[in-house]
Amino acid sequence: MNHSEIKKLIISSLNADADANDAAERLEKEGVSFNFRNGFRDKILEKISSSVLTMTREIEYVKYLNLAFSRIALTGVAAIIVLLISIFLMQGSLSFDSFLGLSDSYDESIVCLLTGN
Amino acid sequence: MIKESYSIFDENELVKASIDGDNGAFGEIVIRYQKMVARTVKGMLGDSVFAEDIGQEVFIKLYYALPEFRGEARLSTYIQKIAVNLTLNEIKRRKRFLSMFSQKGNDEIYEIEVADQDTEERKEALEIVNKALLSMDPKFRIIVTMRMLQGYSTKETAEILGLPLGTVLSRLSRAQEQLRVILEKL
Repeated sequence: MNHSEIKKLIISSLNADADANDAAERLEKEGVSFNFRNGFRDKILEKISSSVLTMTREIEYVKYLNLAFSRIALTGVAAIIVLLISIFLMQGSLSFDSFLGLSDSYDESIVCLLTGN
Repeated sequence: MIKESYSIFDENELVKASIDGDNGAFGEIVIRYQKMVARTVKGMLGDSVFAEDIGQEVFIKLYYALPEFRGEARLSTYIQKIAVNLTLNEIKRRKRFLSMFSQKGNDEIYEIEVADQDTEERKEALEIVNKALLSMDPKFRIIVTMRMLQGYSTKETAEILGLPLGTVLSRLSRAQEQLRVILEKL
């Protein structure tokens, strides 16, 4: 196909009622074809693998960070509770009797409560 | 051996396997649709290294978008839409870059590399098409690429570009006029 025929084919392929698929196939036969270079697929798979690996590492890092944070936080909360209890006990504002509800009870009253007399 | 086993997979099986992390299946998708993507990207940007990069980006974007692919449209249409969007974004990016650093303003810069193995006649045919396309306004160029290189009907072109059919028809007519003038000079 010479230049003018190629040009005619290009123009006619744009007619609204033309068979565009047929024109595209004819142009491809004449050398109007596009493709990527060799190794295109491998380059893509390589890029995907490396990005997936990076993402996996990031996810693992965040996971370990969360785990470490929760452990440290729990230990911290436990330490604060123990500290508060020990302070209250040392100050005398808290006693084991008050936990058991014995601070206001006398032996006689317990006997009365149990026997009903 | 592996290639043969994937070539018998249909589109849905390949998509499902790719989502499950089977890179071989995704490789088969690349093989099946790389020529289609090349026609869009290289038709719009010229046969250059940049076009290769955009082509790779299309498939990488597809890989991460596959879980959202519901199969309502054909996979080829889905890939084509990604290719069109990335290519148009690249053209906009270049225009912005050039308007900042060049006194020429909005003129685009393209580099065309024609494959060595083609005969002289085939090379010339490709050169005519490349030069004609790259001389066109991008909004007409995309219509011509879809129609002339991909062989899509006006309805398919409208669906892929997300434009009303009337707009596609009027742009097609204007593109034809513009192309006629450009080809006369070549």
